[in-house]
Parts: sequence; C-alpha cells; structure tokens
Amino acid sequence: MLHEHYAVVLLFILFGIFFANLALGAAKIFRPRSNRVGDKGVSFECGELPVGSAWVRFNIRFYLIALFFIIFDVEVIFIYPWAAVFKSLYPALGSLMFIEMMVFIAILVLGLVYIWAKGDLDWVKTLSKRDGNKEVSGA
Amino acid sequence: MGDMVFYLFALMTVLSGFFVVFSKNIVHAGFSLMFTLFGVAGLFAMLGADFLAITQTMVYIGGVLVLVLFVVMMTRIPAQNLPKSSFNRKIPAGIFSVLIFAIVFKVIGGTEWNVLPVDAPEATISMIGQKLLTEFIFPFEYASIVLLLAMIGAAILIRERKIDDDEEVQS
Amino acid sequence: MFVNITIPNWSDFAHFVPEAIMFGAFLLALMGDVIVRGRKPVVPFLITLLGALAALYYSFASPPVGDAGVLGSLVMIDSFAGFFRIVFSFVAVVTILFSWSSEEIMGSTREHKGEYYALIALMTGGMMVMAEARDLVMLFMSMELVALTSYVMAGYMRNSLRSTEASLKYVIFGAVSSGIMLFGMSLLFGMTGQMTFVGIRDALVANPVNDLSMLVVLIMIMAGFGYKIAMVPFHFWCPDVYEGAPTPVSAFFSVGPKAAGFALMIRFFFTVFQPIVDTIDWPLMIAILSAVTMTYGNIVAVKQTNVKRLLAYSSIAHVGYLLMGFLLLTPGGLQAILFYLLVYAVMNLGAFMFVSAINNSIKSEELSDYAGLGFRAPWASVMMFIFLVSLVGLPPAAGFIGKLYLFTEVLREGWYWLAIVGVLNSVISLFYYMQIARAMYFEKVPEDAPAVKIAPLHYVTMALLAVPTLILGLYWSEFKAIADQAIAGF
Repeated sequence: MLHEHYAVVLLFILFGIFFANLALGAAKIFRPRSNRVGDKGVSFECGELPVGSAWVRFNIRFYLIALFFIIFDVEVIFIYPWAAVFKSLYPALGSLMFIEMMVFIAILVLGLVYIWAKGDLDWVKTLSKRDGNKEVSGA
Repeated sequence: MGDMVFYLFALMTVLSGFFVVFSKNIVHAGFSLMFTLFGVAGLFAMLGADFLAITQTMVYIGGVLVLVLFVVMMTRIPAQNLPKSSFNRKIPAGIFSVLIFAIVFKVIGGTEWNVLPVDAPEATISMIGQKLLTEFIFPFEYASIVLLLAMIGAAILIRERKIDDDEEVQS
Repeated sequence: MFVNITIPNWSDFAHFVPEAIMFGAFLLALMGDVIVRGRKPVVPFLITLLGALAALYYSFASPPVGDAGVLGSLVMIDSFAGFFRIVFSFVAVVTILFSWSSEEIMGSTREHKGEYYALIALMTGGMMVMAEARDLVMLFMSMELVALTSYVMAGYMRNSLRSTEASLKYVIFGAVSSGIMLFGMSLLFGMTGQMTFVGIRDALVANPVNDLSMLVVLIMIMAGFGYKIAMVPFHFWCPDVYEGAPTPVSAFFSVGPKAAGFALMIRFFFTVFQPIVDTIDWPLMIAILSAVTMTYGNIVAVKQTNVKRLLAYSSIAHVGYLLMGFLLLTPGGLQAILFYLLVYAVMNLGAFMFVSAINNSIKSEELSDYAGLGFRAPWASVMMFIFLVSLVGLPPAAGFIGKLYLFTEVLREGWYWLAIVGVLNSVISLFYYMQIARAMYFEKVPEDAPAVKIAPLHYVTMALLAVPTLILGLYWSEFKAIADQAIAGF
C-alpha cells in the first residue's frame, strides 16, 4: 500500500463505527423489549402530545447560509495549499505570492460586503415596508 | 491489504450510490449520499491524492451534503406521497443504464491509459500550492470570481422578496 | 521539493485588458449598487456601459497580434480571440443600452436591477475568456462561469413562474451536460496525461487510442458543446429558456454564449480531434447533426404562435447553418462561420430587441397581437423587417452575404446534399419569418389594439443593429477581411 499512515485514519474510523454500534447495540440488548404501539410510537415532547408532523418546511434562509458556508469553505481549501508552500516558495516569488492571495481574498470579500450590505446575513429581517416594518424571524 | 481496502471503499461507494438512486425516502437517499462521498474520499486517499481526499471530506461531506439535506427539509411533500414512476419509464432507463455501463466498461478496459511511471509524491499539497501560485495563477484568480458569482447568484435567486404594493404575480 | 518552478511572466497579464475591464466593471457595479441606492441603478448601468464601450474600443484599437500563448499554455490571445472580443463587447453594449428602458428588466416590481448589469459585464468577460481557452482547466472554468451567470439571468424575473422554470430547466440541463463533458475530458486526460489542447493532440498522434474509446470521448465532449450552442439533440432547454427569460436576456443568450460556445468548440475540435478524422468520420456526424438541427428548428418554428419562441427555434436552425461551415475543417469554412456569427449576432439581437420593445408596450409576444404593427409602430417595424429579411438570407441584407459565403464553402468542399438541405431550409424559414412580416403589414389593425409606444432608447439600439445589418449586406468586404484575418492563427 502506498501510504501506510492512512491506516491510522482508517483504524480511527473503524473504531468510531465500532464504538457507536457497541453503545447502541448494548442498549438494544439490555433495554426492555416493547412493541411500538399506541403512545409508545409517539415522539416525546415533554409529555405533551406532538402537534402536527415533524416534516415542516424550513426557511430558505438556512439554505442561503449553508451555501455561503460552502463558498468560504472552498475558499479555505484554496488558501490552505498557499499557506503550506508560502515559506518555501517565498524566495522564488517574493511578495507577489502575498499579492496573489490578497487579490483572491479581496474578490471574495467584495462578495461578503455585498451580501452583508444587502441584508442576506440578517436573521431577523424586515420584509415589508407597508405593514409598519413588521419583523419576521427565520424558521 | 491494500486491495482489500480498495474493494471496501469501492463497494461502499457503489452500494450507497445504488441506495441513493433507488431509495424511496429522500432523507435516506441524502444520508446514503454521505457514504458515497466518503467512499470516494477513501479512494482518493488510496491513490495518494491526500489533498483531494481532504477536500472531498470538507467540501462535499461537510458542505454539499448539508446543503442537500437542507433542500430535503425544504420540500413540502413527504416521501410517501411521491408520485409513483410508471413501469414504462423504468425499462428504457434500465436498458440505457446497462448500455452506458457496458460502453464505459469497454472503454475503461480497452484503452491504454497514460500511467505515470513514478509513484505519487508523499504529500501532494505543496505541489498543488506551487502549481496554483505559478503556472495556474490565472485559473486560481478566476476561481475566486466563480465563487463570488456563486455567492451573488444564490443570493439573487433565493433572497426573500420585498412585498411591494403593486405586486405582480404571473401564472 | 520544487524541481522546476515556472515563474509566470507577469507582463502577460497586460494582454487581458478587455477581460480586466469587464471583470472590473462587474466588481465596481456590484459595489456601486451597494453604496448608491436609488430607484434606478444609475451607477451600475453607467459603469457597465462605459466598461463595455471601453472594451469594445480597446478590442478594435489594439487587436492582439500573432498567436502567442499567454501565461504558459492556458490561454491563447490571438486574432481569433480578438475577433470574438469585438463581437462580445458589441453585444454587451447593445444589451446594456437596451435593458435600461426595458420594462421586463427595469419594471417597478423588479429587484436586483443593479446586479443585472453587473452580471452582463461578468458574462461578457467570461465569454471572452471562453474564446481564449486552450487548456482543459480553462475550458471548463470559463464554460462554468458563463453557464452559472446565465442560470441567474434566466431566473431574473423572480415573480414570473415562466422565468423561474426557465432557470431551473437551464440548471438541470446544464449540470447534466457539463457532467457528461467533464467525464469525457477526464477520459481524454487519462489517455494522454495532457491538459493543453495541443498537448492532447500531440499525444494522440504519438499513441493513437482505439476507435471506440475515442468515439465515446468525442460524443461526450460534443454533448457539452452541443448544449452550449443548442444543437439537436441537446437543444431541449433552448425554447423554454428563451421564452421564459426576460427578452433582453434571451437576446443576449441567443448570440453571446452561443458564439462563445462556437469559438471554444472550434478551438477544441480543430486542435484535438483533427488527427482522428481519418479513423472516425466525425465531420460526417456533425453534417448529419447539422442537417437535423436546421430542419428541426425550422419545421418546429413554423407552428409557433409566440414570436419569442419562434425566434428561439429559428436560432436553433441558425446553429445548423453555422455547423455546416464547422465540419468543413477548412480555413474558408471557418472564415464563413466567423462572418456569419458576426452577422447573426447583429440581426438576431435586433429581432429579439424588437420583440422586447413591443412587449414593453403591449405586454404580449403573441403573433396575433402583432397585427398591423407596421402601421402602429412604423419605424420599428421597418427595422424588424430588415432583420427578418436578413434572417431569411435575402439580399440586400447581411444575412444573404453570410449565407452566400457559407454555401459557397460547403459546395466547394463537395457537400452537395448538405447544401441542398440548407437551401430547402432557407425556404422553410422564409415562410415563418414572413408570417411575422405578414402580420405586421397585411393584417388589419384591430379596433381595440393598444397604442404602441416605443422608448427612444429602444429606437436607438435597434437602429444600432439595423444599420449594420444593411451595411454588412452592401459593404461587407472590410468586415469579411476582419473575419478572415481572425483565423490567421489556425
């Protein structure tokens, strides 16, 4: 195998899976068996009966935030190799190396400024001017 | 050992891929996508592409999958009410898939691939960093514009509408 | 660790002036939109308009010379790219100008007006890079940038279901086709280990790959390009998107990305797939697709009652004509394509602009509502008539000259059946284009017909297109010379 040290990673993952299943499996063995009839199948909400389905539509703002997260996630992916080679490549490229990354970041910062100024990051939003600035919160 | 791990990852990728396609419940499909993506990350790691494996884990499992699950949560129809796809559609789709599989199988088996004579380097990240900052500097900066566009485009398309007095709703 | 560091030649960036202007205009317009708030997005409009004008001026004034690759081997800024720079910046100027008075873009219920202009600037820059790419990385990235922008622009009218549907269809078709194309590219990379077009070609010549694999790669990559230029059988998105998107955007789509797709396709196919012509007869494949494309586009267009949809099908038919020049693999064929693209950009943009200008006033794109337009909006209708004549390919309009060159080249290379199909198709197209003209001039003005008011800016932009349509039909030799020079690098 090419990279033996990945075996450690694999081992970690296998142990993780093993322990998670061990805990759940042990619980399954030791807990009292019951068939899910009547109120036993109902999800527990502090003793109250649940209202409506658990399948509710989430606010689209969650999606937007998640998308912004991915964008910056990818940005980090790009920054990482830059940081890794900065020291060794600096003699060859000089300060240009710094400028390259600053241009990259600056372009994305413009995007951040844009979504910030346009209010896409506000969780509590003013939706309507007409209804006396009624505030609508997410979800 | 190496072969066994490879088959493990490959099996994981393919089986969970099947599950993504055939599962009637989109939540299950979304979660089994995680195993597909993870299997691919494992394959990358086995190929010595450590940076790609990390990227795959961070961006796809950590980001895109979350997005997929959010989309699932935004759907209104519970899975059991899905319209049943008719039998007619399944047969052509099946034939088509098998055909494509056969062709790709033949192509992959029958082509002399350009195989690098040397082993992959221990850590690819410094090579990637070097290439990105020198030879591929233009695509590198271009990527930031693409990312910016993705950000703005998403904001434009799904930003909540202001309610105007003269709201026009076409149908 | 660093065996051979190739320090990029930083002065190479000086070659990117028009692209830098467009990307800069995009960023500035975006920031201008954030800082200056008003009912009308004056700042983004002015920035992008001036940017596009500057890019147009620069592309004319200092066209790239020679065929030097820039920044290693990623992009090629040659006269071919220079030609497309002119086309794209011209299209951008016209679209930006036109959009300012368009209700579909600037109507009171519309949002993101500033972003609209910024996105046009961005897309123009992206198309320019598309025409310059000569490396798989740049090919994919430039195509994705243009595609992503177009998804957003197609869905611009967010309170219109049609527009949203157009955007969704565009995304789904686009994602599938670029996925297929990426798979083909990965196979190509696996076979050759090269990223640049030239490198791939050389590797394919040195170690030929078996025919089946090559054919699969060819079809996969053709799917990506075929989607971009709306070639049958990858055209399904085209009528819906053009109909659903705001008309100025459809106008932009029908010429901009299409021309960019052709530019990239020409560069890719003429380099990478040139050596395999002997083993795989892909020109014949394209010939059949070309014949099918133009016939399908024309026949379906005949039945349309929505003028925008009709023009969408007609633009599919024009792709068929353009492909005729593509498959010849001769410099003459290429020159004919480039000239035709120039002509097509002008006349098709004009026809869409007319539809948009009318829609602005009477809120309809139905053919039946065009009755008597020739008397209700005489000047605009005359210009539309010019565009229609040109689209059919009749003298003295530019379309005639464009088609003449195309058919001459096709006949010279001995593709007689294809030329016959092309001529027959032109006859079909005469029928439906003249249906519009008939509605405008030979149908009585209905009693309750609303008055047609056309914005002054729309007159200006349509004149900006109608005059070249005539000029190119009468004094084409200089423009043909520009197109001829453009392929000097090939």
